[in-house]
Amino acid sequence: MRRLRHFFAIRLNWVALIIVILFVAVALAAPWLAPPNDPTQPTSYRYVEGITQVPPLPPGPGVPLGTVAYLMDTPDGRELLHFDIYHSLIWGTRAVLRFGLLTALAAALLGTFVGAISGYVGSMLHFVLMRITDAFLAFPVIAGVWLFHVLMQTTNLMLFDYNSLVPIKIPATFFQQLVLGLGLDPVMLTLILFSWMGYARLTNARIASLRNAEYVEAAIVMGQRPLRIIFRHILPNAIAPAIVLLARDVGGMVVLQTAFAFIGVCGTVNSTAIPEWSRVLMMGRNWIIGQNGNPFQYWWLYLPVTVALILFGIGWNLLGDGLNLTLNPHEMTHKHFDQ
Amino acid sequence: MSVWKFLVRRAIFMMLTFVIITAVLYGVLMLAPVEARATLYLPRTDYGVSYTMLRGIIEDHGLDDPYPVQYVRWLGKLLRGDWGWSPALRDDVLTALLRRTPVTAELTLWSVLVFIPFGILSGAMAAWQRGRTSDHGFRLLAFIGTSIPPFILGLMLLAIFYVGLRWFPVGRLTLSSELLVKSAEFRTITGLLVVDGLLNGRPDITLDALRHLVLPVFTLSLAHWATLGRVTRAAMLEEIHKDYISTARGKGLSWRQALWRHALRNAMLPALNSAALSAASLVTGVFVVEVIFALPGVSAPLSISTRTASTLIPDITTTMGFSVYGILLVLPLMFILDVLQMLIDPRLREEVLL
Repeated sequence: MRRLRHFFAIRLNWVALIIVILFVAVALAAPWLAPPNDPTQPTSYRYVEGITQVPPLPPGPGVPLGTVAYLMDTPDGRELLHFDIYHSLIWGTRAVLRFGLLTALAAALLGTFVGAISGYVGSMLHFVLMRITDAFLAFPVIAGVWLFHVLMQTTNLMLFDYNSLVPIKIPATFFQQLVLGLGLDPVMLTLILFSWMGYARLTNARIASLRNAEYVEAAIVMGQRPLRIIFRHILPNAIAPAIVLLARDVGGMVVLQTAFAFIGVCGTVNSTAIPEWSRVLMMGRNWIIGQNGNPFQYWWLYLPVTVALILFGIGWNLLGDGLNLTLNPHEMTHKHFDQ
Repeated sequence: MSVWKFLVRRAIFMMLTFVIITAVLYGVLMLAPVEARATLYLPRTDYGVSYTMLRGIIEDHGLDDPYPVQYVRWLGKLLRGDWGWSPALRDDVLTALLRRTPVTAELTLWSVLVFIPFGILSGAMAAWQRGRTSDHGFRLLAFIGTSIPPFILGLMLLAIFYVGLRWFPVGRLTLSSELLVKSAEFRTITGLLVVDGLLNGRPDITLDALRHLVLPVFTLSLAHWATLGRVTRAAMLEEIHKDYISTARGKGLSWRQALWRHALRNAMLPALNSAALSAASLVTGVFVVEVIFALPGVSAPLSISTRTASTLIPDITTTMGFSVYGILLVLPLMFILDVLQMLIDPRLREEVLL
């Protein structure tokens, strides 16, 4: 309770909470804020019918934030379709929240697990696990995103042979079938695989210092099993820094994903796994600089999504900062300087 | 001789890191069909890739063997300098990457040289002036720096300073300078244009290269500067409250001397450590920035292979080469920052292995 009061005593924490709650509310209220064409089958994108012009439509009646035109692969062949940006922006909050929360949570669980084991068991296993953690830290994640992207391209590997016009189809591996079957996002998998290290290091350091605490020694003397001691007695006391990192990562993961999508290492617009915000940016990429180099001619193509993205990042970052001051008592001594 | 022991130990750790992460990469590759993996061993050919050819490679190189055997074989191939041939690039992967290294190295080097000194200095200044206007200003700037995603910042800077004001161009050089650099009378010594321009006695080339570097370096440095500054500031504030500062004051040092001579030295350790930990994210940022500012750096093979790779044969060779290259770019950065830490803190030299 004291911590809760402390959290709400700082005005900036209110700002953080309001921003985060705002995004959650928009995500929940999406069907009302942006009614889909067919309410029984709501889609996260909406086409504006009957427009043949190529340049994006400016904001107007029916399309509050304009449209972006893109040549899409549809069942009827390639078609120029105008996407309603406002619709994608609203429905995109769902995808973005899901992406950020799932990725950060999975990375946190994985990292905390590794850190807990290595911190508690110590000695040789500790050395091995920490070397592995350090090794992952030396890997630029963009290369991993690209690698998984290429990996998923090989699901439909068709090879030709001499003297034959019939391609030989290479069956997908178990992993590829699993990813496709469960509808997993390869970018999400990559970000999880290459961003758990921070959690491992934090948890490891905290647990190594808690290991010799008196209450833990009491639990050992009582004959409790090591795993139970880790999960029941040590982790709850060591988890605070991980929660702080988690809050910051939710925004960070989404920003990272959007950056990768924008420079084109996550696949094409047609892949459904890409959140709508990134998709709008990808589709509008070539229109950002307008005629005579006027960057504001087609402002609705990037400005709304960009502002939403920056707000999303700020909200979670501030929440992390606020939680940091509340949960990590060590830092509280400096609260006058840091807030 | 403990300095040497430190260096040797770090070098061994680096090699261990390299082996572990390449093992992970090859492990990830094992999730793809074996035919995809066979493209790593493609011979130089201008003809198409056929099924029989890939089956032959699988036979010859034993790609059905257990994972460790395959991995060691591939690692040996890497270490021999044979990184494979990419049909999409129509080039040897290592050659293609090495040819573009100077661009990436220049960008990385300048960003590190900008953000580390500025980050540490401004963080220390903010801690020194804590609570005053300059401290508030620093914190506001740092907040903005960590909030704006670099690729958006890059776009905004492009729109304002390239398209709008025409102050800073994109690419690496303007056409006239580029022709001069490619001509016979310009000797390429380091590959870094800023240095080469001076060595050739052509400061105009140096200036031109610098003008092209301003926007990318700024984009890349801002977020890292902000993070580093925040860490330094927090570490400084922690050091200020320690006993040795009171002692230093007690023996007659002024507040300023105690801070800059004693506290900063200790506060720099966590700062450099955080910079070392974010070296990989710096390299990721380098690649993103290269794409946005159209710099012909190491990420160019990636975009080329996206455009030209047929959907039939994915370009695994370039991808793996790029990944390994990325690690090789991060490791020296981490090594330098580790050595800097050791130079500042003599205790690190005495540290035992674990």
